[in-house]
Amino acid sequence: MAFHSEDDKSEDYLFKIVLIGDSAVGKSNLLARFARDEFYPNSKSTIGVEFQTQKMDINGKEIKAQIWDTAGQERFRAVTSAYYRGAVGALLVYDISRQQTFQSIGRWLNELHTHSDMNVVTILVGNKSDLKGIREVPTSEGKALAEAQGLFFMETSALDSSNVAAAFETVVKEIYNILSRKVMSSQELNKQDPASLSNGKKVVIPSEEQGESKKGGCCST
Amino acid sequence: MVRKKVPEWLNSTMWSAHPPPSSFNDDDGLLLHSPATKMKEEEESESISFASRLNFALPVPSPSPRQRNNDSNIISGVVPSGEDFSRQAHLSAELSKKMINMKELRSLALQSLPDSTGIRSTVWKLLLGYLPPERSLWSSELKQKRSQYKHYKDELLTSPSEITWRLVRSKGFDNYELKTGSRCMLSRSRITDEDHPLSLRKASIWNTYFQDTETIEQIDKDVKRTHPDIPFFSAGSSFARSNQESMKNILLVFAKLNQGIRYSHAEADAFFCFVELLKTSTVKQLDNSVVGIRSAITRLSQLVRKHDEELWRHLEITTKVNPQFYAFRWITLLLTQEFSFFDSLHIWDPLLSDPEGPLESLLGICCAMLVLVRKRLIAGDFTSNMKLLQHYPTTNISHLLSYTARLLSIFKAQICFF
Repeated sequence: MAFHSEDDKSEDYLFKIVLIGDSAVGKSNLLARFARDEFYPNSKSTIGVEFQTQKMDINGKEIKAQIWDTAGQERFRAVTSAYYRGAVGALLVYDISRQQTFQSIGRWLNELHTHSDMNVVTILVGNKSDLKGIREVPTSEGKALAEAQGLFFMETSALDSSNVAAAFETVVKEIYNILSRKVMSSQELNKQDPASLSNGKKVVIPSEEQGESKKGGCCST
Repeated sequence: MVRKKVPEWLNSTMWSAHPPPSSFNDDDGLLLHSPATKMKEEEESESISFASRLNFALPVPSPSPRQRNNDSNIISGVVPSGEDFSRQAHLSAELSKKMINMKELRSLALQSLPDSTGIRSTVWKLLLGYLPPERSLWSSELKQKRSQYKHYKDELLTSPSEITWRLVRSKGFDNYELKTGSRCMLSRSRITDEDHPLSLRKASIWNTYFQDTETIEQIDKDVKRTHPDIPFFSAGSSFARSNQESMKNILLVFAKLNQGIRYSHAEADAFFCFVELLKTSTVKQLDNSVVGIRSAITRLSQLVRKHDEELWRHLEITTKVNPQFYAFRWITLLLTQEFSFFDSLHIWDPLLSDPEGPLESLLGICCAMLVLVRKRLIAGDFTSNMKLLQHYPTTNISHLLSYTARLLSIFKAQICFF
């Protein structure tokens, strides 16, 4: 059952996704690898937020991911709340070679839930998996935390590219699936009301634009 | 810990007190006999200012090879125009006066300073108030501040083991090891009396040292990530390493003197210039309470609205581009990340020329930056506008600055600026 017009191929969906986690865990490099297949060994610290869009193909549908790469430094914490608004997905990143960045995950989760919808699709990402020799966080620990918190989990390396695209795709696919189910079930409900919802218009999960409706996310449409 | 005000120590008279005039000397790397400054190597290499190394463009008697390399990296491609030459002459004349006319100097800096003359390092020191307008006081002033900084470094950056050894020596145990004979006969009681790494005492220098580790790590990370593309900061050469070391020292001394602000992004001369810069207005802005940065962004938004209502409406209402998404970085980093490093120097000239601090000029420049790309912004949607403002296009800086000057004079005429 299609809920968008077949001829409207471009930008059927727009999902806002945030990258969060301690400073220097590799958030910007995950994005650089994913969006441009680039890697910078000594990249500049992100100040405030950096914004990037990336088109993705999920089940033949073109999806535009609007990715917000945030500053990890504690000192910018007070101004980050604006960046979370309207997010429907999140990559929560730590560095497998620094235990301390894993310890911060709880704080980041709180931060995320305070400023955005509880149903944000979140993946826990243990980055720098190439640094096997100096690993401080075992894979099992990351997995256990993700299970306890109901998050997806993956270990990635922005340096050698492993799992980078997969991590982003996991989030986007899940958002898409949730959205598809929601739209379908609301279509069932509104069968006798043809004017509702999907009259061939594209479905957009807005980012900042929907600031007025706090619930925003895909899971509350 | 949050501090909203300029901390006490920043206001200490030490920063501004003029020492008694002392004998005149011209070894300070300044334009004491402009324009042909002598830049003699001093016994203490760190007394050559960090800032003047950046502007090492004057004829130097015998520069070392690494300095020469650095020169060519920095000034290559900069060909002074005729206008630059006349401005340079004007500046040199101003700087050779017994008493510098600060008003004149500020208005000269407003249009940005010429490169390739080594003028900037002197003018910035004056603009920041690190050097007094009386030229005869310069050398004594520098001497005093440099020894003050050396004192800070000694006091704050010396490792605990070094301190312990100094203590031991000062107590007359110069021949400590010899007196105690062979190493295996070290007296236990004597050592436990002193401070040591396992000491539980709050006042233990080792305890402080361990607490500082976090700050040191943060500074280390930041310094490594400072302009990784510019050889001056990170070429892996010994020159770059010593520059990074100087930056680390400056930031660490600042952080330790000012625990309230906590360390945030940023030798002797550079340190005090840095302090002066933070004194003006940025302290508030980088404060964790973020009262400063928020209000600065709001003021920028108001400026744009007053000057160009249509642009403001399209940006903030129609396309919902929250000014925080781009202006946070513009303002906190004083535009250094939006333009190339060398363009940033030119942008800083007018910023530093305002005796009230850089904020007014900065907001003027930000407003001008928006207006200069208004056509594209008005035609753009949320995504394209975000991309445009987060990656501001290459711009003719002198055009930007002259446009800013015009804007600021309009604002002042309308008395709408404050």
